[in-house]
Amino acid sequence: MKGAILKIENSIEKTIIEFLKKGLDKKLFDVVLIPVKVPAGDSYAWVLVQDKALLEDANPLPPVMLVQGAKALSSITRRGKSNKKIAAIMRPCEIRASIELSKLQQIDLENICLISIDCPGALPLKDYLEDTKKGIDTFKKVIKEWGNESVRPICQMCDKSVGLSIQSDLHIGIFGAKNNEIYLIPSSQKGKSILEEIGIPAEESMDNWEKKTKEFVETRKKNRKKIQSTLSEKVMGLDNLLETFSNCINCHNCQSVCPICYCRQCYFESEKMKLSSDDYLIRAESKGILRFLPDTLLFHLGRMTHMSLSCVGCGACEDACPMSIKVAQIFSIVGDRSQKVFNYIPGKSIEESLPLKVYEEDEFHDVEKP
Amino acid sequence: MSKVLRISKGAEQGVQELLKFLLESGKVKGVLTLTKINNNGAVDYSLITNSEMLKDALPLFPLMPANAGKLLSRFTLKSALAEPIAVVVKPCELRAFIELVKREQGSLENFLFISSTCDGVYPLEISSNGEVAKKLSKYWDAVKKGDIAPDIRPTCSCCKYFLPYNADITIALIGENIDKECKIFLTTEKGKKSVEGMKGQLVEGELKTQEVKNLLNKREENKKKLFDNPALMQDGLSGLIETFGRCIGCHGCSRVCPICYCTLCTFDSKDYENEPSTYETELKKRGGMRVPPNTILYHIGRLTHIGISCVGCGMCTDVCPVDIPLSTIFLKVGGEVQQTFNYIPGKSVEEKVPLTIFEKEELTEVED
Amino acid sequence: MKDDFEPTIIGFLCRWCSYAGADLAGTSRLQYPPSMLPIRVMCSSRVDPVFIITAFLRGADAVLVAGCHPGDCHYIEGNYYTRRRFACLRKIFETLGMESDRIRLSWISASEGPRFAQVVTDYTDKIKKLGPNPAKKEIFL
Repeated sequence: MKGAILKIENSIEKTIIEFLKKGLDKKLFDVVLIPVKVPAGDSYAWVLVQDKALLEDANPLPPVMLVQGAKALSSITRRGKSNKKIAAIMRPCEIRASIELSKLQQIDLENICLISIDCPGALPLKDYLEDTKKGIDTFKKVIKEWGNESVRPICQMCDKSVGLSIQSDLHIGIFGAKNNEIYLIPSSQKGKSILEEIGIPAEESMDNWEKKTKEFVETRKKNRKKIQSTLSEKVMGLDNLLETFSNCINCHNCQSVCPICYCRQCYFESEKMKLSSDDYLIRAESKGILRFLPDTLLFHLGRMTHMSLSCVGCGACEDACPMSIKVAQIFSIVGDRSQKVFNYIPGKSIEESLPLKVYEEDEFHDVEKP
Repeated sequence: MSKVLRISKGAEQGVQELLKFLLESGKVKGVLTLTKINNNGAVDYSLITNSEMLKDALPLFPLMPANAGKLLSRFTLKSALAEPIAVVVKPCELRAFIELVKREQGSLENFLFISSTCDGVYPLEISSNGEVAKKLSKYWDAVKKGDIAPDIRPTCSCCKYFLPYNADITIALIGENIDKECKIFLTTEKGKKSVEGMKGQLVEGELKTQEVKNLLNKREENKKKLFDNPALMQDGLSGLIETFGRCIGCHGCSRVCPICYCTLCTFDSKDYENEPSTYETELKKRGGMRVPPNTILYHIGRLTHIGISCVGCGMCTDVCPVDIPLSTIFLKVGGEVQQTFNYIPGKSVEEKVPLTIFEKEELTEVED
Repeated sequence: MKDDFEPTIIGFLCRWCSYAGADLAGTSRLQYPPSMLPIRVMCSSRVDPVFIITAFLRGADAVLVAGCHPGDCHYIEGNYYTRRRFACLRKIFETLGMESDRIRLSWISASEGPRFAQVVTDYTDKIKKLGPNPAKKEIFL
């Protein structure tokens, strides 16, 4: 595998931004989609940047994930392709969600150059907001240490955060990079020609980086199993599920921040879910008591059936839950298993069809009852 | 002065008995009340039809997992109640329901409204981390003294409307000896009829006691502090951007808002999606643009849509994942709008929502 | 610098009165600044306050809502509702410390060509003094 090497000047973030500036100068892309510090200085928002000066406050790897990047990209191209060439620099899970959304026809990837970056994880939104200055310091450590436990649990168990496990046009390797260097690894013709135009063709061997990332992924896989199996014991089975989601207040924040849940109108908020007063009363009378609103678990299980095959484990749901339910971790257990049924890795490849959109005539006989 | 049914038991127990009486005497078919959901301190509303299930009821618990006004609307949106149901709700929840009924999102028919003088509720955060149990004794102490309870929702700590409007039955809590006696104020004919046959002493009483008046003053003072605090929000567009800049667009605030009843919020609809060409035009003007767009528009827009009816229940602040003090801002701005029209949301079901009526001679000061 | 500034004013004009008034101003060859971009609406009450905020945040220097005089509404009472909604929006602008001068409600009938020209002229002058809308260059809206 070949890539290009960039010397770090000032910081990793600044080096990447300089690279993006060159791309803008050479008109390799017209706009950059990147998180930029908001005026209050305590948070980040996705900004489509055309004016280079705005990149001064940009941060390709902010300490938290506020809006899932795929959602930002979808808001731009949901209604059709962008006429401007956009370089979108995102965390791997955001790239993967973007690929899924393009399969769901919510993102048009034409004229988009997806740039992924080795991700050390993101801090839990709650922890970060408690003290944003401290959060920024903590995150500096996180980038150095790789495996730091201040990041969100879902990030600690992410096995697709580093290396080339995803399909972007260009990947920025910052994991295990030797001091003062980051790597630019093209994985498409688009990415390759960008590097060539900038004058840093991908000619260096990336084998060492690749080997290290693979080792790291293996430890992450173990971690994932460990966290999931501990959690499984607590949440599996109807009683446990009911207990787990008993704190849920039906705000549906998890659904509205989920990049895969793209419906304008969620089924679970639609007219279909509204009953007549008699129906509620009849349901209450059958047990003597009915939680009101009912069907909290139906919502979560239903959402699993709708999106778990494409769940990229980005953790946006867990960050947005006001009741601190471990939504993302629970969904990751279900997602992993359902994805395995179809041997499908969401966001891995744009060519792979969504499993529920295709079928073979001769398959899955094991789920049929004779 | 109004009729009071006095029971020589603690307030909580008294309400429990009231609910039990209502169910068992067949005066109501069901009771909607807060109930214990799990052992970690979670409570939620439940519709109880079997009086044995009342053992888990916590009718006066100082938490609001959902604004019950929204729930009552859901209950009666498709059809009015065919049989009587008693509900135990906080004053602002009842006000919210009245606002929803005015918007044809529910029906008052066959409801028996039980409310109480309210010292506020805790932020939901403390129910998810199990801390609520530790706070309860301090809460009830404050109630007895008629103080502002510590650590309650900011909008509760400045709420003026803690004597319920439109309740048939009001449980007196603030400044009362709630450990020893339960005073059940029967504020309507319906309320009086519903307790006929229940054990207790029928006396005359006054809901608006000196303690209540004192608390009103304390809250008024607190409100000034809260609203005038420059840290709440700076003036102008830049202030809005400072405060709402961190919004992640989850729109949880509108989904839990009892007044926001639209099945599909206009800001989530197709109307507010942009063509790719729109971004090009905007980029030409600004050189950069936040995406997804419309963050500030959403919040000011929501103010124009619901500010007139905001009851300040505080649900929006509680569900905000990025800790924007939404309810304080909405109550402050909404309160100004309400004052313009001399309107107290949820006070009376006959009073129409000001934006749905007009007078021919008025407001000439806004014309140029 | 401010003298060079030509404001952009979005005008929501009611189809029956104010739009016809604008037409009359034109056919009468009255002079007024070319600052107004008219949007024809069936009634001033068609204008959701959110439209006004949208125009404002997209960078309009001012927004004018104009309709029939009270009592003359083609739909009998539409403009009375407009006035209430506008009062509500203005209060929100004031409470948020936003420049409420950038939004305006005026009644202009179909026969008031000169009044239309006058309103646009006066309002343009006023906005010129206020300067450009700060939202125009804002990134984080």
